[in-house]
Amino acid sequence: MPRWLKHKALGRFFSLALAMAVVELVTGPPGSNETPTAGFSGSFGEKVSFFGLFPVPRIVQFLAFTVIIYFLISLWRSYGDRLRDGVRSLTERPRAVANKGSVRWGVAAALVVIGALLPRFVTDPFWQTAMVEQIAVYVLLALGLNVVVGFAGLLDLGFVAFYAVGAYATAWVTGALPLPPLFGVHLNPFFAIPIAIFLAMLAGVLLGTPTLRLRGDYLAIVTLGFGEIIFLFVDNLNGITGGSAGSGQVPHFSVDVGPLKYVWGLAPVPYYYLTLAFVILFVVAFSLLEHSRVGRSWTAIREDEVAAESLGINPLKYKVMAFSIGAASAGFAGVVTAAQTNFVNPSVFTIYFSINILVLVIFGGMGSIAGAVVGAVVIQTVSMYLIHTPPAGYQPQDLYIYLGALLIIMMIFRPSGLVPSKRRQREIGLAESGQGHMDEVLTGDVP
Amino acid sequence: MIDELIFNVENITLRFGGVVSLNNVSLEMRRGEILAVIGPNGAGKTSLFNSLTGVYQPQEGRITLSAKSGRSVSVIGMKAHRVSSLGVARTFQASRIFGALTTFENVKIGAESHRGIGIAGAMVRGPRTRHGERESDELAVDLLDFVGLRSKANLLASSLSYGDRRRLEIARALATRPQVLLLDEPAAGTNPSEKLELTELIRKVRDERGVSILLIEHDMKLVMALAERLYVLNFGSVIAEGTPEEIRANEAVIEAYLGAASTAGDS
Repeated sequence: MPRWLKHKALGRFFSLALAMAVVELVTGPPGSNETPTAGFSGSFGEKVSFFGLFPVPRIVQFLAFTVIIYFLISLWRSYGDRLRDGVRSLTERPRAVANKGSVRWGVAAALVVIGALLPRFVTDPFWQTAMVEQIAVYVLLALGLNVVVGFAGLLDLGFVAFYAVGAYATAWVTGALPLPPLFGVHLNPFFAIPIAIFLAMLAGVLLGTPTLRLRGDYLAIVTLGFGEIIFLFVDNLNGITGGSAGSGQVPHFSVDVGPLKYVWGLAPVPYYYLTLAFVILFVVAFSLLEHSRVGRSWTAIREDEVAAESLGINPLKYKVMAFSIGAASAGFAGVVTAAQTNFVNPSVFTIYFSINILVLVIFGGMGSIAGAVVGAVVIQTVSMYLIHTPPAGYQPQDLYIYLGALLIIMMIFRPSGLVPSKRRQREIGLAESGQGHMDEVLTGDVP
Repeated sequence: MIDELIFNVENITLRFGGVVSLNNVSLEMRRGEILAVIGPNGAGKTSLFNSLTGVYQPQEGRITLSAKSGRSVSVIGMKAHRVSSLGVARTFQASRIFGALTTFENVKIGAESHRGIGIAGAMVRGPRTRHGERESDELAVDLLDFVGLRSKANLLASSLSYGDRRRLEIARALATRPQVLLLDEPAAGTNPSEKLELTELIRKVRDERGVSILLIEHDMKLVMALAERLYVLNFGSVIAEGTPEEIRANEAVIEAYLGAASTAGDS
């Protein structure tokens, strides 16, 4: 290594410049077979508008960004601690107020009202559809995965499987699949809700009972495999699931009880209210669960399984429980999606989907119900915004690059998430100070 | 029934691959006594504990536990949480408290672990759930009082001192309403005054709560002051058994253990 690079400030500058060069390459135009170097020369040579002022080559923009970011980092290094302390002392009182039970309930109620009134303000049909398909449904999924990953500490990379079970169960009982429904009765999707939830929970128990004896990485790999198995099943069982074409005949929800007649149509807003109602239901149920015996037992298992077991807690039972509760909400999300879009199709149920949900949970704050909701709303809104009004140079497949970068930044600066759970935050603090015991096998006389 | 046996260990052998950790060990523990197991490092003391609590499964021999209900059950092959529900509580050599929970919550988890689960009950909070919760709260407060941690009930467990963590572990174990408490080196890492208090506490657990005590300990002063009977392990085998006086005079023990460890053990 040359000597001048050992100078810390300089080294920092060059690592930053390197990172920025990669960003520039990634966001620049792609090359092609005829002109393989076009991606490179275009990434740095192409003219872009400099903050909307005047056109400059990308390399100038890149250098300007590097200098600005370096300046910001230096500023943060010299004044960051002071700034953080200042903000902390300023927000101390408001935070104490915000932690009061009555205030929290008030905030929750206000959020519900805002949620209920939202369709009145958001009239753009793109956003109305996105609110149901891409935001509300994802909130449900994040809530469910949060129980598995956040509460019970089980890394589930095949969460999409339960979503698929819910969606296909709906298609099945409503008679939309090649496989005829039970007794040949075509049911209304409303009746599919309990059936889909039950089947998803059953899948959770069936998968969980043998696999949840595994810990950590092993469990992640098994769940990953399960997700793929479900995908391959629905993709290939033409006679049962309709294969890769899926089915486009899932009916809408409808109510027909005496004087009450209503059919959920193609309009997204009625679906929005239906999903919102279930989101509220799940939020309330899960927060009661978190502060109950079950929630405490999950915490105990997550922190120290050996100690928890010595107190008479059966870890397997509680883990299977978390798995099936998470599966239930994914199953329900599957019902909503299937009924609202009228079709089920295996192309949705891929590993990317599972990872996407996991990102929402981690970003919002593992183990925090508010975090799951906020994480899902924020990330899904941003990615929908990028689809609706893509900025210059943005391509849809770039999304995961940005999500990945966001996750890395998040893990470095705020590992407990946007709205952290108190217990989780403490655990991370303990682990960082070297106090938490991870899975060290029974200490003592090593034979 | 003064001489009724809580644990009857008959000729157990525990192997890990080719390594024999416990070799033909037999041990009898009577109800209401304070029994100690001593021995140099690597003698198999913790392996014995783990076998008694269902964490390890010895390949040979029998372990019979007389359960709370009075019937005798075999421990080998049983899961650790099942053994716990039969009235066997334990603490660990390196304290294993739940650091991110408060002192009170730590004990409460112990107190409520043996109730049926019931997701619905947990969510709806009917009268039965609330009644059970109140009972657990009362027991937890009572036990924190008993071990002298009441004033620290709402502190994070990770903020407690080493000695306090030991007490917390004892309170948490007692919350499962055990008939026998297994203590794995309770005095490790505590200072002399804490050690004295701990001795008092352990005796109090037996005298006031009627819980029998099985103790692993390196600190000879503590063992000799507390235990009524001792077993000495060396290289996975029992080499002596008797009262503290008998053990002190035993040639084999002096050679295997006291000779080497009496200076180190008192540190």
